[in-house]
Amino acid sequence: MDARRAEVRALEAEIAALRRACEEPRAPGEDTSRARKSLQEVHQSDSGEWAASKDLRGHLGHLESELLFLSTLTGINIINYSMKTEDLTSTENTEKSIKKVLQRHRLSGNCHMITFQLEFQILEIQNKESLSSVITDLNIIMEPTEYSELSEFVSRAEDRRDLLMFFRSLHFFVEWCEYRKCTFEHFKEKYSEAVRLPEGAASSCMVVQSPRQPGFELVIIWRIQIDDEGKVLPKLDLLTKVPQQALELDKNRVLETAPLGFRALLGVLGIEATLESLIKSLCVGENH
Amino acid sequence: MEWANDKSKGGVLAHLERLETQMSRSCKNLEDPPRETAESDLGTKIRKLRCLRDKLRAEVKQRQARIKASTANAEPDQTLEISEQEAVGGKEENMKAILQAYRFTGINLFASGLSGKRTSRGVCVCISTAFEGNLLDSYFVDLVIQKPLRIHHHSVPVFIPLEEISAKYLQTNIQHFLFCLCEYLNAYAGRKYQADQLQRDFAAFLAGPLQRNSLCNLLSFTYKVEPQSRSFPFCARLLYKDLTTTLPTDVTITYQGTDASSTSWEEQRASHENLFFTKPLHQVFTSFARNGERLDMSLVS
Repeated sequence: MDARRAEVRALEAEIAALRRACEEPRAPGEDTSRARKSLQEVHQSDSGEWAASKDLRGHLGHLESELLFLSTLTGINIINYSMKTEDLTSTENTEKSIKKVLQRHRLSGNCHMITFQLEFQILEIQNKESLSSVITDLNIIMEPTEYSELSEFVSRAEDRRDLLMFFRSLHFFVEWCEYRKCTFEHFKEKYSEAVRLPEGAASSCMVVQSPRQPGFELVIIWRIQIDDEGKVLPKLDLLTKVPQQALELDKNRVLETAPLGFRALLGVLGIEATLESLIKSLCVGENH
Repeated sequence: MEWANDKSKGGVLAHLERLETQMSRSCKNLEDPPRETAESDLGTKIRKLRCLRDKLRAEVKQRQARIKASTANAEPDQTLEISEQEAVGGKEENMKAILQAYRFTGINLFASGLSGKRTSRGVCVCISTAFEGNLLDSYFVDLVIQKPLRIHHHSVPVFIPLEEISAKYLQTNIQHFLFCLCEYLNAYAGRKYQADQLQRDFAAFLAGPLQRNSLCNLLSFTYKVEPQSRSFPFCARLLYKDLTTTLPTDVTITYQGTDASSTSWEEQRASHENLFFTKPLHQVFTSFARNGERLDMSLVS
């Protein structure tokens, strides 16, 4: 009787998950509501667990919810994972009670729009005193490859075999990219005549020009860099493009010092407010 | 930092809030006596559910095929759908394995895939640490789903500024809280590892034990670079002001040998300072040892 009831529960959970998978993609709120339901299912199935804890199918719904929760929490979505182990203990090792095991891991998934494939090896050495686990090899393949800042970061992570830092920095890098994209899109929408995104919202460049004086352009370059220690930092620069005449008229060398002024402003107002004030200053007189 | 589109706040916190409601609801269900359902009724229900499930599975497969065909314009949401469908269709072992694999991201669930009663109304998150490929200790944080969100218990060492980090992020952005804590713990684990390695492998180069505080961000020791030498002419003081880094922010090397007039000592002292700034502690001594070997070889030949 219990097994059948458990099967009913498991089927219902699976159907709920399948139904969600059939829903049309909506706004970014989609995965938050999905995550909400997933954790709800974790505890729904869990309260039934103790009555039929051996049931495989009930377990599946529960596991699926935990997976969804973790992928929402970390921002990293692991899709496939496998591991093989190889016992490297020699007879000499066994005599000294030393055990050596080589694990070969393969992992693939995505972090938002970036997909990754990892292959790494971990050498586990167990002796009388301790167990040590060392990553002895790390290979990372990432797509898309147009984020040039990433390729240098990936080689560094591979050299240092720093898997955890790779994921941590990737997560922050992607968050910054998303934030940059949202910010650019926001300004493009709010000041549609003045703001241009010549390489798209996902790029690092936003051009601001006054609709009345098309010769004047402010180009904002917003790069996202990953430093040596894996810290992810935004780096913004201002480039000015003006007609030759204006340069000659610029006695106070405002244009020359603009990039420095921009940096200072960033420190005081933060990114969004600085960009807003820059755009507004060019649109003086417009109806905004 | 403000997010123009802060979905992480809605995501994790919202479903934890949802959990609270579910917990009270499921507790009520446990108290209700199980209803007696006829065998045949259950059988019919199972058949109907299986039918519906198979129909939905086919539908999802179709969608997956359509989505794969337009992968170039795939939105993040669509990618999530594919993984969900695979998770449902995959085996239990595969999902359990993936859950375990999350430890390589630094954050996973403590005893994930667990069976048995969960009595605390919360989630137990496990943070892993590593330094240059060496997998080190894990720490756990048990979160209770209440308003406000709070930490039930944890294994974070007392000298890590957990209170500060949770005051800043816990209520507004759990993701950020966990990643920030992850940064601090990994940096601490890395500094500790370097100090341990130095003490373990290069004790011969040190005059007495390495002096350190519990955070391993203030180190002081007296050392030599020539293995044959009987005196320990250099005194080092390393300070790591930034608790999220594994390299020092302040390095002071003083020469306390008797031959203070010689300029070569000053050159050495300056080059050591530079080394300690740029390389992990134990690797600095590895290069000292290697140079010492080279010196020895030249003496022999």
